[in-house]
Amino acid sequence: MLKFPKSAALAVLGLTALATPSLADGDAGAGEKVFKKCAACHAVGDGAKHKVGPELNDVFGRTAGSAEGYKYSNAMSEAGQGGLVWDAETLSTYLAKPKDMIKGTKMAFAGLKKDDDIANVLAYLKTFSQETAAAPAAVEAGETPVETADAGAAVEAAPAAEMVVEKSQGAFGLGRKAMPDEIAAWDIDVRPDGTGLPEGRGTVAEGEPIFVENCAVCHGDFGEGAGRWPVLAGGQDTLRNDRPEKTIGSYWPYLSTVFDYVRRAMPFGNARSLSDDDVYALTAYLMYLNDIVDDEEFELSKENFTSVRLPNEANFIPDDRLSEPHYAKGIEPCMSDCKPGPVKITARAQVIDVTPEGEGDENSGGGID
Amino acid sequence: MVDITDPKRTKQAASRRDFLKAGLLGGAAVAASAGVARAAGDPLITEIQDWNRYLGEGVDVAPYGKPSEFEANVVRRNVPWLTADPVSSINFTPLHELDGIITPNGLCFERHHGGTAVINPADHRLMINGLVDTPLVFTMEDLKRFPRENRVYFLECAANGGMEWRGSQLNGCQFTHGMIHCVVYTGVPLRYLLEEAGVKTNGKWLLAEGADAAAMTRSIPMEKALDDCLVAFKMNGEALRPEQGYPLRLCVPGWEGNMWVKWLRRLEVGDEPWAQREETSKYTDLLANGKARRHTWVMDVKSVITSPSPQAPVTHGKGPLVITGLAWSGNGTIKRVDVTLDGGRTWQTARLDGPSLPKALHRFYLDINWDGSELLLQSRAIDDQGLVQPTKNELRAARGENSIYHNNGIQTWHVNNDGVVENVEVS
Ligand code: HEC
Ligand code: HEC
Repeated sequence: MLKFPKSAALAVLGLTALATPSLADGDAGAGEKVFKKCAACHAVGDGAKHKVGPELNDVFGRTAGSAEGYKYSNAMSEAGQGGLVWDAETLSTYLAKPKDMIKGTKMAFAGLKKDDDIANVLAYLKTFSQETAAAPAAVEAGETPVETADAGAAVEAAPAAEMVVEKSQGAFGLGRKAMPDEIAAWDIDVRPDGTGLPEGRGTVAEGEPIFVENCAVCHGDFGEGAGRWPVLAGGQDTLRNDRPEKTIGSYWPYLSTVFDYVRRAMPFGNARSLSDDDVYALTAYLMYLNDIVDDEEFELSKENFTSVRLPNEANFIPDDRLSEPHYAKGIEPCMSDCKPGPVKITARAQVIDVTPEGEGDENSGGGID
Repeated sequence: MVDITDPKRTKQAASRRDFLKAGLLGGAAVAASAGVARAAGDPLITEIQDWNRYLGEGVDVAPYGKPSEFEANVVRRNVPWLTADPVSSINFTPLHELDGIITPNGLCFERHHGGTAVINPADHRLMINGLVDTPLVFTMEDLKRFPRENRVYFLECAANGGMEWRGSQLNGCQFTHGMIHCVVYTGVPLRYLLEEAGVKTNGKWLLAEGADAAAMTRSIPMEKALDDCLVAFKMNGEALRPEQGYPLRLCVPGWEGNMWVKWLRRLEVGDEPWAQREETSKYTDLLANGKARRHTWVMDVKSVITSPSPQAPVTHGKGPLVITGLAWSGNGTIKRVDVTLDGGRTWQTARLDGPSLPKALHRFYLDINWDGSELLLQSRAIDDQGLVQPTKNELRAARGENSIYHNNGIQTWHVNNDGVVENVEVS
């Protein structure tokens, strides 16, 4: 990830940096990790939108409480009207103890205890503030993280200068070479053989509170599914039943799919907000809910991941539709006297009318999944 | 709420019939008794209509034109009880209102798993990584500099008809068969992009990924990717609609719709499939014996009569009746469509009209003289591989009722003496 060489960081931060020496030492790479504590509520980078809190692109130099389209507490708006502008110093104070600095702020966050964490997270936020682009020397060529490269108009013109753009070697010479950080940012898929698993670990016990906080609203405390949201656990031995219940424990062939899917798409509406450790812990917790492990201290990690097998793996078979009798080669379809006697109606849609304009029946059969 | 049996149509037809009757029998008397001299005949003809006298709107009133206000009933519809939330849901193409083989862009059914992503094309990137000589990033501008192709393809969701496995449920071919559309795509053969990056010899699989909140992913065998897949940016001549993946989508002709990744942002080359959620938990076909088929990619040979159908009843009484429908196969073209009026005892071959293109919809017609008696209408398609569309009971015998996906069974519509149509199953 992005690292500011010390001298360059000073150049970027200028006088502010001198005023707050701790920030000058800030490591944006380490700050990215700290920012995970903020990410549930704040977005940064390309296309960042307001979440629980305002988006934090260009927060350096921003008048407090002034991001367009976000509804601040009165306290924060007043602080801005009173002249509070975010810079390294004011941010450090705010992040240490938000409620001490601005009584009545609605940021429900206790504060960062370690000075290092504050310095690092500010260095990270700084990479999403326009001033960064003004000092391109600060960014080593080829090390610009994608989010930085796309963060805000001022940086827009910058990539060409900062990134070592290697042209495609192909027949058309179109496109450019993808950079390792770019690939790392998007290539998060995990295969059954463990390819793609990140470093990390998490236990069942660690997963439970994360699940309760982030997942249970929709999936239920035990993965039983609230309302019509998907059921994640149970259903063992129901696959041959009239109404099979297909869950991770009863149906899914591979654990890697759980990790991959939760990391890319959950929680629904706030994808990519979990840390890798969170996803390991949640995967362990989902194993527990599905009786695949029964020890709350069980820890799932990159190292032991592929030793786990899901019970239904062996029941997946290749597509053999063409071996079905009705697809047998050379069938000449019957044209006359194909059925004895008059044909009778055996089922009618109107009997169980579930067509939307009719009376809906939520318990009707089938589904689109 | 929209009435699917379209009583407006019935009413209009009825009132016209009434008028004609009245006009022929008592019209003159009515005119005479009112003491007004009126020409005999249809007032729509004998009287000057507003639209014939007053000027209509000029050009530019609608810089992007819309269908006539009298077509307001021709819309996509959803089935709210099917899914928990409309941002991961589905709606259906109004097949019963359409003709020909091309679906208008605004009527193409929608299915997405995390809502419609809104992406400025200037901000869109397509990456190729994995087992390639050079991982590449393309902008939309780059992509538009590769040679292009235009191809007509149907796109059918594997779950089309999924609600009908246990018996006839939904009264309308919009709901039983409407997870399909067919448009002409403009795009770059996927082959060119992969060749530009240089696929390594052990690159046997491709993972396609979307940029939406579901980051949709599917594994595709390299053979297919190099064969006829297209990276498309236009449909029916104009930019893809947002709900169809604007600015970029993958076309995987003849294969299930879920693989046609929308908002396509990444293609990864690998040596094995990825077993993503949409190819394990979903889009696998559970059989009666508890086994599940996976990688059931091809959309089987299939057809349906779109009119008459429950939402398009016969309103004109006895006499000439156009029976029409659609047929398609993920294997290639449709060779023949047969239609039965008596629930499958006797069949006659329908007339295919319009272009016959591989992996595209085909339009068929059977023009009959209806004697007003009950009909049990079915259609049966045969593709150029010689595969014959099976009956629903044949499918159930082979698979059970829990497959959800790939229901290509023969559909039956019951037409009663009044022309009202119902979704039924027959012996
Ligand atoms: C639980 C949600 C939550 C968390 C966690 C959180 N914030 Fe906030 N933040 C808010 C809210 C809500 C506001 C708006 C406060 C107000 O209006 O009083 C806010 C405001 C701010 C502001 C002022 C922005 C402006 O435009 O005036 C900054 C800066 C900020 N947060 C930084 C952070 C950082 C850095 C972290 C992580 C170390 C963090 N926040 C963690 C919810 C959160
Ligand atoms: C706001 C509701 C919501 C929340 C919160 C949520 N999910 Fe989901 N989850 C969904 C929906 C909706 C789907 C199905 C999405 C689709 O249709 O593709 C889903 C699908 C899943 C699936 C796949 C289920 C299957 O059978 O294929 C898993 C696993 C899952 N969620 C795990 C989680 C975890 C872990 C969390 C917490 C980090 C979480 N979800 C939070 C709504 C939610």
